[in-house]
Amino acid sequence: MIFVAVGTQFPFDRLIRCVDEWAQEHGAAVHAQIAGGEYVPQHANWDRFMTTDAFNDQLNAAELIISHAGMGNIITALEQNKPIIVMNRQHKLGEHRNDHQADGLAWMSKLPGVYTATQCSEMQALLSRKHELVASGQHDLSRRSQLVDFIDQAIRA
Amino acid sequence: MSTSTPRKIFAISSPGGHWIQLTRLCKELETQHQMIYAMPDKRFKPKQGQKVYSVIDVSADDKWKLIPCALQVCWILLKERPDAIMSTGAAPGAVAVMLGKLFRIRTIWVDSIANVQQISRAGRLVKAHADVFLTQWPHLSEDERILHKGSVL
Repeated sequence: MIFVAVGTQFPFDRLIRCVDEWAQEHGAAVHAQIAGGEYVPQHANWDRFMTTDAFNDQLNAAELIISHAGMGNIITALEQNKPIIVMNRQHKLGEHRNDHQADGLAWMSKLPGVYTATQCSEMQALLSRKHELVASGQHDLSRRSQLVDFIDQAIRA
Repeated sequence: MSTSTPRKIFAISSPGGHWIQLTRLCKELETQHQMIYAMPDKRFKPKQGQKVYSVIDVSADDKWKLIPCALQVCWILLKERPDAIMSTGAAPGAVAVMLGKLFRIRTIWVDSIANVQQISRAGRLVKAHADVFLTQWPHLSEDERILHKGSVL
């Protein structure tokens, strides 16, 4: 099963339509969280918004996560050891209030287990070889420990 | 981490990626300090033992909500009297940092790792006011004012 999530702030019809059409063509099982999108999936199961528990259930059941290029879903996928494909929202298409998701795409693609797409064609190309997409295994938390130690000192200062 | 006197920390952010980053940073701090959280998502279910206040969401698109959000944060600060305030953004965190300055509470801003090219808009607003201002990107650090000391990933 593939779990698609676009976050709670804005819709992302371009991504939902892209994955839904691919899933219809290939008979793939998909659950989509679509926020306030106008496009309603024709093939995938969907929710607009989900509770923490429902979200975690879908996440655990999925073998692949697809998401807007948001940090929350990327961190969650890394922690759950699931491969994730992210597609960036574009400011010029009205998908976000700026282009920070495009700015982040290059370094996101360097994270192990994170795959990136800008266009639907790239997303569908990745989906067509989804069995080759693998999770990160273990991710490096040394930079996080350094930051937390510094914050701890700053709090005590 | 050192193990001296625990402090009371108020940690606040927007829902979604900001919140995921905040909670990952606070996970270890929870073992040393008393953490109080605030976040604007009614669907969120706190973990057992986690104290999470719900506040009104505010973003660059609905600035008028800054006022009710500020009143809520003000009330939480007066009630809880934290020793420090910490935020990963965005607007609700900026509100808390400004109020922290007013109440002379130590404030720590960690700009979101999602802001790769430049400091976030909320971050730029509070840069001059936070006691400690951190970026998660080495290339965005600026001498004493914007520090880079690590990142959530």
